[in-house]
Amino acid sequence: MTHVWKIAAREYSAYVQTVGFWLSILLLPVGFATLTIAPMIMQRSTPAPALAVVDLTSRNLAPEIAHMIRAEAIGAEPPARLVAAPGAPFADASDAARRLKIFLTGSRPLPEGGLLDVVAILRPVGGSVAVDIWSRQVADRSVAGLVSEAVDRTLRRQALARAGVNPAVVAAIDHVSASVTDFSPKAARGKVALRDRLPGMVGLGMGFLLWMSVLTGAGMLLGSVIEEKTSRILEILLSSVSVPEIMVGKILGVGGVTATVLALWMIIAVVVVAIRFPSVGVDLADILLARGLLVYFAVYFIGGYLMFATLYVTIGAFCESPREAQALLGPMMILISVPLMFMGEALTRPDAPILTALAFIPPFTPFMMVARVATDPPLWQVGATLALMAATTALELWVAIPAFRSGALISGRFELRTFIAGLTRRLG
Amino acid sequence: MSEALAIDALTKCYGDVAAVDDLSFAAPRGRILGFLGPNGAGKTTTLRMVLGLIKPTSGWIRVLGEEDAAKVRSRIGFLPEERGLYRRMTPVNAITFLAGLKGMKAEHARRRAIELLESQGLGEAKHRQIRLLSKGMAQKVQLLSAIVHEPELVILDEPFSGLDPVNQLSLEALIRSIAARGATVIFSTHVMQHAERLCDQVVLLAAGRKVFDGTVEAARKVAPRSVVLEGAFGMDALSDLPGLNGLTLERLDGGVLRIVAMLDPSVPAQVVLGAVFAKGLPMDRFELREPNLHEAFILLTASRSEAGSA
Repeated sequence: MTHVWKIAAREYSAYVQTVGFWLSILLLPVGFATLTIAPMIMQRSTPAPALAVVDLTSRNLAPEIAHMIRAEAIGAEPPARLVAAPGAPFADASDAARRLKIFLTGSRPLPEGGLLDVVAILRPVGGSVAVDIWSRQVADRSVAGLVSEAVDRTLRRQALARAGVNPAVVAAIDHVSASVTDFSPKAARGKVALRDRLPGMVGLGMGFLLWMSVLTGAGMLLGSVIEEKTSRILEILLSSVSVPEIMVGKILGVGGVTATVLALWMIIAVVVVAIRFPSVGVDLADILLARGLLVYFAVYFIGGYLMFATLYVTIGAFCESPREAQALLGPMMILISVPLMFMGEALTRPDAPILTALAFIPPFTPFMMVARVATDPPLWQVGATLALMAATTALELWVAIPAFRSGALISGRFELRTFIAGLTRRLG
Repeated sequence: MSEALAIDALTKCYGDVAAVDDLSFAAPRGRILGFLGPNGAGKTTTLRMVLGLIKPTSGWIRVLGEEDAAKVRSRIGFLPEERGLYRRMTPVNAITFLAGLKGMKAEHARRRAIELLESQGLGEAKHRQIRLLSKGMAQKVQLLSAIVHEPELVILDEPFSGLDPVNQLSLEALIRSIAARGATVIFSTHVMQHAERLCDQVVLLAAGRKVFDGTVEAARKVAPRSVVLEGAFGMDALSDLPGLNGLTLERLDGGVLRIVAMLDPSVPAQVVLGAVFAKGLPMDRFELREPNLHEAFILLTASRSEAGSA
């Protein structure tokens, strides 16, 4: 056991002393912060588009559009800035389009400064109204929906007024809406609150985090084995210690690194939540500690990590370069990415049969079980999935130990034939 | 139990190919044994079997009195053929780590690592990352990590490859010092000069089979002695000289001819010299050359190759 700890300690310190380790610690919080802040920065740095309305209908639709823009404003920031159409009045829609095009191309600024972004030309068609939206950017649809909804609403009101409905009644009806309250027998007080939704959200977040950390850790292990193999250090190690000691030592060492990264991420998250959202922080702590999610997460992290680490260590022993490993892992990554496609579903329908079934496929188990935590999976499911993972890891080790020894001493490319021959010998 | 290593009828097959075929030899304790053979002769495979890294197909190995090398790992030092160490570790830390795996206490291993590094002129580099050292220095660090725990048996697979002549001499001195403290050294090589200078015993392998086992002196005797004759005479004059065969000739300045010929082991050199004088040949030089290990190696491996292809 002493050898295992020595190898683990060397592996751990080798990673902790690298710049990459500290970068990986900072990367996720920085990335997360960027994702949160980026839309705000984008909104603040991008001015609201300048919108000119050309109303050729004589139905007085522009005031409703202006009202709608004011109503849709987030804080002091409206979704669009209304400007007078330069050169108005216009003979017809094609005249307006022709004369305003020069402003939309950006060749000429508006009289009040800045560029014209969108022109909404409202023109009569039969008894109704058609809206032509001209935008400076082809893909800009930001105000099209707003204009269309404002026009629809005004046309409805005007039709109702023509039908003799009192405008005050129409205005009152506009404000009629049902009050919806969510209840669930699984909610602590019957009525669903954020606290009740938190386990699902935490489970999903943890599922993604687990996927990322388990595969990152296993990837680090793969790189480490390839480095030791190509530099022939493995051969020296094999002359001093047994294959299981090397494998377990390396797996524990890199596992320690991954666990350290995760723990530091969690500490950073706790600090951020405690400062920014103290009320959520209390609920979160309760869920993680009192409801045992932290233990649940730790158990599946360990199980998942051991399963993938054993696999990656064995593959590493057969590869001469990271490129060779990448080629081998490429198809495998497609398979391992399957949980990512289904984990999002676990937020709304964690007990869907497909999600339960996927949780029983060992390579998907850790991620799917963590993502499904909100359903409080029955104890038998937890026990059975853990047993399946343990059995898979044991089978992997049974194959991996002789495969690792043979792979570590072979020079050259990975050969499936060699790998299978080793396996057959083991079975024989 | 006077043998550090005993091997009997050892065979390793990969499919239908025998990498090592019915190999038997013993390495007495405290001796330097050269394990010689051309590339692909089966040296590395044999050493890996001795270390327990691969299992023999058949045969028997006893290392330091144990049939299972795993039981005596801590008493063996090993330097593999292709070398490398953790590039970002310092020599002191690398040697300490590998000594730890051999059972040495960290503090003791560290002290010993520093002592060894300083004794080998690597004192200044002891805290520098290995990736910053020259190839020769890094190889020396690796060798030190194989002997830091003072093993009873040191196995070095092609230890001289990649070293410049100065470092080769320094490594020879180190090997002698290991043997001087009573350890057994087994090293594989295909460069005969090292074996000739260092070994008490040589085992020569060709195409997986042993073709010689004995002292360097005995190995040399396998090859015939040769004579060198120089003088202003023609080839015809030598035709009836006794015991000479395999003649090669070289024309020197002034019409002088140099002839090198293998000497039949049953014919004493004096008989040839007497015949030269008796014929009155105008000879400037007559030299009797003892065979070297390289010649014996070529002869032995060639005969094995012929036997193999026959």
